[in-house]
Amino acid sequence: MSGQVALSTRALVAGYERDLPIVRGVDLDVKQGELLVVLGPNGAGKSTFVKAIAGLVPIHSGATALGSLDITTVPAHEKIRHGLAFVPQTENIFGTMSINDNLLLAANILPKEKRARRIAELYAMFPDLGSRPSLRAGQLSGGQRQMLAVARALIVEPSVLILDEPSAGLSPKIVSEVFARLKQINETGVTIVLVEQNVKAALAIADRAVILVEGRLRHEGPAATLADDPIVAELYLGARREPNTVTP
Amino acid sequence: MNPQALMDGLITGSMIGLGAIGVTLTYSILRFANFAHGEFIAWGAYIALAVSSALGYLSGGLLAPVGPFSFGWSLPISAMVAVVLTGGLALLVDALLFGRLRAQRGTVIIMVMASFGAALTLRSLLEFIFTSKPAYYTKALQIALPLGGGLRATPDQMLALGVAVVLVVAVHLLLTRTAIGRSMRAVSENQQLSGVVGIDVRKVVRIVWLLGAGLACVAGIMAGLLVQIRPHMGLDLLLPLFAAAILGGIGSVPGAMLAGLIVGLAEAFAVQLVGAEWRAAVAFVILVLVLLVRPQGLFGRPE
Amino acid sequence: MSVELIGYGCFFLTMALTYAIMCLGLNVQWGQTGLFNVGIAGFVAIGAYVSALLTTPDTANRFGGFDMPILVGWLGGALAAALIAFLIGALTIRLRADYLAIATFGVAVTVQLCALNLERITGGPFGIGFIPRPFASLAGDPLLFSLFNLGVLIVVVALLYLALERLVRSPWGRVLRAIREDETAALALGKSAVKFRLQAFAIGGGIMGLAGAVQAHFIGFIAPENYLPMLTFQVWAMLIVGGSGNNRGAILGAVLVWGLWAASASVIASLFPPGQQARAAALQIVMIGVALCAILLLRPRGILGEEKVVSRHLGKLSSALRADAKPATPKQ
Repeated sequence: MSGQVALSTRALVAGYERDLPIVRGVDLDVKQGELLVVLGPNGAGKSTFVKAIAGLVPIHSGATALGSLDITTVPAHEKIRHGLAFVPQTENIFGTMSINDNLLLAANILPKEKRARRIAELYAMFPDLGSRPSLRAGQLSGGQRQMLAVARALIVEPSVLILDEPSAGLSPKIVSEVFARLKQINETGVTIVLVEQNVKAALAIADRAVILVEGRLRHEGPAATLADDPIVAELYLGARREPNTVTP
Repeated sequence: MNPQALMDGLITGSMIGLGAIGVTLTYSILRFANFAHGEFIAWGAYIALAVSSALGYLSGGLLAPVGPFSFGWSLPISAMVAVVLTGGLALLVDALLFGRLRAQRGTVIIMVMASFGAALTLRSLLEFIFTSKPAYYTKALQIALPLGGGLRATPDQMLALGVAVVLVVAVHLLLTRTAIGRSMRAVSENQQLSGVVGIDVRKVVRIVWLLGAGLACVAGIMAGLLVQIRPHMGLDLLLPLFAAAILGGIGSVPGAMLAGLIVGLAEAFAVQLVGAEWRAAVAFVILVLVLLVRPQGLFGRPE
Repeated sequence: MSVELIGYGCFFLTMALTYAIMCLGLNVQWGQTGLFNVGIAGFVAIGAYVSALLTTPDTANRFGGFDMPILVGWLGGALAAALIAFLIGALTIRLRADYLAIATFGVAVTVQLCALNLERITGGPFGIGFIPRPFASLAGDPLLFSLFNLGVLIVVVALLYLALERLVRSPWGRVLRAIREDETAALALGKSAVKFRLQAFAIGGGIMGLAGAVQAHFIGFIAPENYLPMLTFQVWAMLIVGGSGNNRGAILGAVLVWGLWAASASVIASLFPPGQQARAAALQIVMIGVALCAILLLRPRGILGEEKVVSRHLGKLSSALRADAKPATPKQ
């Protein structure tokens, strides 16, 4: 893990409606190669936060950058060209199209010579998908869909991969498979930002975690120690409101 | 039962089908029923008429019938020009009206209302420029040649059918085998996800307008060649277009063509049974039946 | 001279008020229920023809002519239109919003076609004449006749306006508004959205039929060419200009747009030589079409905007969620 910053936000304020910000000023630095988990109670704005970075939710003020490149005003469909891939929580694959078409779609922004090779590489990484490439994606199981969504995101060899609650709706066994995959991908050097409700599973693979409460960053720390930190439970149950503290 | 009804039905059906493909594409990708689509048909026919007349003015030879057909080289040349210009018209209307309403997050209803207004404006503009007198590409008469089985068709009609077939196959291949076709199908299914995977949705929208309007233009030229050119020709086709698009299943190109043929054939046979004055009601009956029995159409997915 | 002016004024206002009735009907369907009717002309035609058939004297080569009183005709016309509206609504109300638009468009096309072709019932392209006028006994005195007819229209519109205003504020109207503003919440309260929407659509259709009947009796004769898509367009323009969702806006829009229409028609007609009058009419429509699109782009709420009855309370609620308000209890 180099010390460089792969993804950052500065005083990010975002929300669907102009007068109702959901993300209320978040500063975050994601180091290159790390696996960061964004935790927080329901309604904290975790999903909105990453969607704002991805360009799907309007940013009211503040900035977000990919490395040294400011991407605050870059349109959503161009962010992936700069190496930022996003996997939404729901509806993250094209169910009416085949597995192969899903991948071809994503590969379109690669130069022509690289497309076929990259798709073949991904089929090798995800043999389940490679065995029936002409299957309609809508017929895949929940876990396989998640794999397809991740494979699709990886096609462009992104530097940063953001996932919004990939464990949602999956059985514990599948969740651990998916998470093991993500860990593998992270080990190849891809920076991963994971929004999760499944605290235990997420912390097991993460390097670091941050906790979002009511649109603000309330806590952060190494994943290993955070699992047992009582402040986590407190913030989730929302008993008290604390100023932003950082545990060493 | 007159077997000629089969030929009439196929010809009308292929015109309706070409128009319905445009309707179903814009409907599935832009998510609203475009009441102005009929006017692309009419404008296509009139633009071709204007260009063809201008070419004929410059060189009379271009008007002389080519081969077995009733028209000269001026028509195919002006057809190509007209397709481009009609596409441009669609882009203009989108830039001035629909695109702005989309940016304002206008609801579906506002878009349909605006399309209704745009349709009326475009239609009346044609009436203003050309008057409502029927116009024709050519005065040359054609003899219907026997095809066997009691069917007869003029060379013009055969050409029109051939062009329709080629276009449908081409559009289908475009949608299933090319990158832009995949992008269109993606945007049709999920616009937001399309942006996430790197598709420039605005570019896809422009292409859909160009394609839809281009097909409408061809349908208009066919109708103008085989029947006549009138400012209301688009309006007359609008109900059959919608009926075919819904019968085929919104978003399905083969569905739209097949449904167009069904509507055309139904009209032709109904005319045999109850008389030509009831032609326009056939599309409505088909529409009602589809909505009653299977609203998602032949190839559509239930909502 | 001034007698002629008053006569013309009466005629103008009476016609405008018949359109106002149509707008009020559309307001129930669109303004209150959010349903898009692109076949207004069809429902107006149904009302007109049914009323004509019920009230005209018997004729040899045409069905109908039951020679009934005018009010029976009006009632019959309204009920017939309401019935057709109910049927078409039932067919499409659960489907996409624009399917209703297409279906109503189909109704208008088909109704016009029937009017044109079913000669034995509708008189075909020649239509139906000798429709009894209210206060026919006064026909000898044109001024008095016009004034009384205008009076009838004013009474009808006023009664309708009052009835609809009561309806909006009634429990039925509040449910409808709730369904339009937030369907999920309304459904959670156990209200069937489909049933209410269907009722509203039928009522609106019935009012349009009434307008057609009233108009038919005012003019005295009807023909299929009175009920073209242009009529639908005019009524929509009126409601949008006046302010959709608003009964006063409906009436205002009708009078205003009718005035603009008549004024622009005479201006444009005067600019064109007699042989080009058809072209002039077409240009007028172009201008109105552009104006309608412009209004949709710039001020879709129209002049009087949308009336908020239920929404007033919703407005208060959302301000409590403003970012700077400190919640008393922790967020769930």
